[in-house]
Amino acid sequence: MELRRYLINRTIQIIITFFFIMTLLFILFRIAPGDPSSMIIDPHMTPEDVALIRQQFGLDQPIYVQYLVYIKNFFKGDFGISFYYGEPVLNVIKSVLPNTLLLFTSATILSALAGISWGKFAAWKKGSVSDVALTLTGLIAHTLFLPWFALIMIWIFSYKLELFPLNGMVSPEIWLDPECGFWAKSLDVLHHLFLPLLVLFIIHFGGFLLVMRSSMLEVVKEDFILTARAKGLTDREIRNHHAAPNAALPVITNVGLSLAFSINGGALTETVFSWPGLGRELVNAVSQFDYPLAQMSFLIISALVLASNLVVDVLYAYLDPRIRY
Amino acid sequence: MTTHDQELFDNTCHPVEFQRELPPELRARERAKHGLARFLKALSEGWGTFRRNPLGVIGLSLLSVFALMAVASFIPQMIDPMYNPMTGVDPNIMGTQGPSWKHWLGTDFLGRDIFAQLLVGAKVAFIVGFSAAFMAVALGTMVGLVAGYFGKWVDTLLMRLADIIMVMPGLLVILIISAVIGQLTIWNTVLIIALLRWSPVSRVIRSQTLSLRERAYVEAAKVSGAGSARIIFRHIAPNVLPLAFLYMTFRVTAAILVEASLAFLGFGDPGTVSWGMMLQWVWKTGNMFQAPYWLLPPGFCISLITLSFYLIGRALDEVVNPRLKKEA
Repeated sequence: MELRRYLINRTIQIIITFFFIMTLLFILFRIAPGDPSSMIIDPHMTPEDVALIRQQFGLDQPIYVQYLVYIKNFFKGDFGISFYYGEPVLNVIKSVLPNTLLLFTSATILSALAGISWGKFAAWKKGSVSDVALTLTGLIAHTLFLPWFALIMIWIFSYKLELFPLNGMVSPEIWLDPECGFWAKSLDVLHHLFLPLLVLFIIHFGGFLLVMRSSMLEVVKEDFILTARAKGLTDREIRNHHAAPNAALPVITNVGLSLAFSINGGALTETVFSWPGLGRELVNAVSQFDYPLAQMSFLIISALVLASNLVVDVLYAYLDPRIRY
Repeated sequence: MTTHDQELFDNTCHPVEFQRELPPELRARERAKHGLARFLKALSEGWGTFRRNPLGVIGLSLLSVFALMAVASFIPQMIDPMYNPMTGVDPNIMGTQGPSWKHWLGTDFLGRDIFAQLLVGAKVAFIVGFSAAFMAVALGTMVGLVAGYFGKWVDTLLMRLADIIMVMPGLLVILIISAVIGQLTIWNTVLIIALLRWSPVSRVIRSQTLSLRERAYVEAAKVSGAGSARIIFRHIAPNVLPLAFLYMTFRVTAAILVEASLAFLGFGDPGTVSWGMMLQWVWKTGNMFQAPYWLLPPGFCISLITLSFYLIGRALDEVVNPRLKKEA
């Protein structure tokens, strides 16, 4: 039952955090020079027209009413109309959200799994050639500048070797062809997914590897490892079933903390590869002054980061019984 | 931190000792001499530990190269105005051209010298990195000290705030702010980075302060009538400074990366030449496949300066955190 209380607490905290971010965003847009209607109002309009527009936008209302309307509209899914696309922001976000989730979750899960298993291996063979090689690779991969690395990968694999498409997520000729079935389309998406996924993977596995390695080196000194050895368990069994599960706990916390960081990286990757995702929409919306879209894609990304943090907390509580008491 | 760490930490950080009653001016001089001597001794001991870490030495050497670059960034434009990284244009070259004797790394799409831009990029990286890191660490240390010392609701409030800021995707927050405010100058960027990046520092400093405030010497200071401000700054702050210093190296990297990403996406300060800006130019002008001499150097520099700060940070970690020394 302690577990339930812990999770309820965390959920409440995360909801409060989200409201805080929403409020900050509201304040930010209100303290900005000019008000949101300045994008539409032009100097030739009469004061009556301006007043009418302001009334339509609800800008003549007191600030707290505007705030309540803002909150209400968010939960009704009424995000306004995108200036650039001319259609509801909700539709735009709905169409790109799955693409971001596909790229982002697969990259995070793959790099965490690889980082944990390679870090485990490196720590176990501490000082060996493979340890040094793995650690150095992880260190260098961890510090690569993401967009630059992505450009170089595109240059080598898409331009020179012509193995992968230059950008985008689908090839129109396959998707418009009625002959092509589900498998051909999935294969096409995978073909486009491979390079951005590889870039994100290389950038992120290093961090996991380094944390797992140092955490594993700590755990190996513990008494229960000695006990396991004394019992005559095999080396492999001690490594995989006694040391690794304990060492992986800090790594899981690290996943939670680095989520915000990888979301940033996700936006950069999406932009470089023209991957039609939420991060790229946000970047484009900002450069096109498409306020409704920029605001909502930012809120949805924040909500995603918070939700994944909650998932990590649940996972952590499930894996580590100590947290429940 | 476990209690084990705590003990080791305690052994390395001596509380500021009480002075015997001396005339004020003599006391001040005595204290300064004493403090300086101890500082120098700690520094040389720390350097001894640092020197034995090969990766740390590699990091420091790399960083010296970048520092040299930053210092040298004034030279090319003094030789010839055409080497000015922002406005200098070679009259004979209209577009991008590969390396030559006149332009060691070639020229960009306007005929500006890439090597000169690279040197200035190092200067900008240092300025951005250090000023943002300094502000973030100063703010984080203040918040951590106040939260840890006063405890109760102050602590809860500040740490909740730190949690909230911690989960914000920094780069995207800056993007949103630039959408509202418009073009950000380099100093606005630095300020926002600092405001978004103090929270990890404040957590660590807080947990140190929590244990330091229970010490006998803090108790003694309280009894002798010292106010909260004096206790925090005179008795607790000196003991958390090494840790704050360690965190600064990590903050520097974060700041450089955020600025570079922002410039790469086209939201950099148009009045400065940073490495991220150079990448943005090569990418946006469609030269990335044709001009490797232009694409490779800036990204290489960003990655290497990140690596060097990271290596230095890890080596400093051993100096500040003696527990790790045995392991290596």
